[in-house]
Amino acid sequence: MLEIKQMAAGYGNITALKGIDLFIPQGSIVSLIGANGAGKTTTMKTIMGLIKPNSGQVTFEGKDITGLAPYKIVSQGISLVPEGRSILAGMTVLENLEMGAYQRNDSNIQVDIHKIFKRFPILEERKQQFGGTLSGGQQQMLAMGRALMARPKLLLLDEPSMGLAPLVVADIFKVIQEINGEGTTVLLVEQNVRQALKVAHYAYVMETGRIVLEGKAADLVHDPKIMDAYLGGSRAG
Amino acid sequence: MDSLLNPYYLQIVMFVMINAMLGISIYLTLATGQLSLGNAGFMSVGAYTSALLTLKVGVPIFLAVPAGGIAACLLAAVIGVPTTRMQGLYLAIATLGFGEVVRVVALNLKVTNGALGLSGIPSMSVMTGKGLSELGLGSGVGILSAQQLSNIIVIVVLALMLACLVFFALRLSKSRMGRAFAAIKADEQAAEVSGINTTYYKLVAFFMGAFVAGLAGALAAHITFYIGPQDFSYHKAVEILLFAVLGGSNVVWGPLLGSFILTLLPEVLRPVAEFREMIYGAILVIMMTFRPEGLLKEGTIRFLWAKFNWRAKAEDDNSQPEPEGGR
Repeated sequence: MLEIKQMAAGYGNITALKGIDLFIPQGSIVSLIGANGAGKTTTMKTIMGLIKPNSGQVTFEGKDITGLAPYKIVSQGISLVPEGRSILAGMTVLENLEMGAYQRNDSNIQVDIHKIFKRFPILEERKQQFGGTLSGGQQQMLAMGRALMARPKLLLLDEPSMGLAPLVVADIFKVIQEINGEGTTVLLVEQNVRQALKVAHYAYVMETGRIVLEGKAADLVHDPKIMDAYLGGSRAG
Repeated sequence: MDSLLNPYYLQIVMFVMINAMLGISIYLTLATGQLSLGNAGFMSVGAYTSALLTLKVGVPIFLAVPAGGIAACLLAAVIGVPTTRMQGLYLAIATLGFGEVVRVVALNLKVTNGALGLSGIPSMSVMTGKGLSELGLGSGVGILSAQQLSNIIVIVVLALMLACLVFFALRLSKSRMGRAFAAIKADEQAAEVSGINTTYYKLVAFFMGAFVAGLAGALAAHITFYIGPQDFSYHKAVEILLFAVLGGSNVVWGPLLGSFILTLLPEVLRPVAEFREMIYGAILVIMMTFRPEGLLKEGTIRFLWAKFNWRAKAEDDNSQPEPEGGR
């Protein structure tokens, strides 16, 4: 569905991505894991068009989308839930969701808002409350709801578990699986490697701007290198 | 009556209207979170364009004024494409620089008459006066002299234009475009990933601000008979910014209130003219300390609105039983 070939990108003089290849098959959950500064968020931002790649190519459903502006990427069917959630604090929960449907003008927007409320009942309770007054977990739900309002074919999730309580994290991951079960392809960037590998079908491991390892998530969980680097050593496993 | 309608007071009212329009112009660009200090420059372009069109080409005022707005808008297109890519302070500095460039160009061109400025610009009230005497009202109507009457007509025209702009700004903030503006202002990245073409909307806001500033500049030229480069220096840019700082920039009423206060304040403080600047400064320092978001914000408007509605409702409830009791 989405294919990245030899993509390099950076900020000014700093190269954050040194030519990565990535493939996301339709209907799957692909996870991108790695330590801080590995280039996971940069990869997301480059797919989304927030950063222009220096070289390489991104194709989505056979179309070249390299370097397109973010709003055009959204209209292709890709949505990003940014790191840190980027909730519009001064708008209500309902308005935040409506912003997610900005490019749509069909009559199903209300239906979709209702679906989101069904998935996250807490958002319906708080729908007239300002986005900024929600807790971290609720904001994450709202950010995901907002991204889903664009009816994406591919959903990019950047660190959805960041700064959340373990119980909430479990909820969020459950929802990610549900969303995927309904046919949305997911690219998941995570530092919470154990959880990410549990829900993902396939995973890529990044280190300092390169992909150093890839494989089926189920295999990677047992990979001694992964265990050492991210899961607290093989003894623990 | 005569003392109340003297030309001096009437002219202050006109300046209040012009400054209110400038307040709207900065509100429009600030609505996307862009701090542009180029509005004085756009005002200057509008003023010179309109003045030159009427002076040298003989275009009637009612056509020259919108032409001033359009000229400002065209120039905004030229400088807007590179500058709206800048963030925050960089944009402020670039637009401030633009304002200075406009001033220096006006100072050195022959057609703008350099530092002497343009004088003898056809004035709206004089034109209206002529029109009135053609209608046989040259000696005035009732207790109003012809001069007072024409000044009042000009004020009414300005008030109507201002009302249109306020209406437009209010509608805008409730519209789809206004939502996009608010999202960009709140979090540009969030707006982008929601699928909003942020570059486009920022440019649109910049154009609208420039157009309104150009319009206000053109109107100012036809009120004062005279314009010079120093009228649109960086002091004017800062003054326009102060409208938003004092009044608040989140709702359109904020810069309006700010422009009212800051236009009337110098007049009210005339008896203590020596301390005027100090009082001015003190007010701003106090504002920044105790209410940095400005006098009016969304919450204030909601509060006042709720209070007003509550009162209206209470009156309704009170008036309801009366006819029943009477039966």
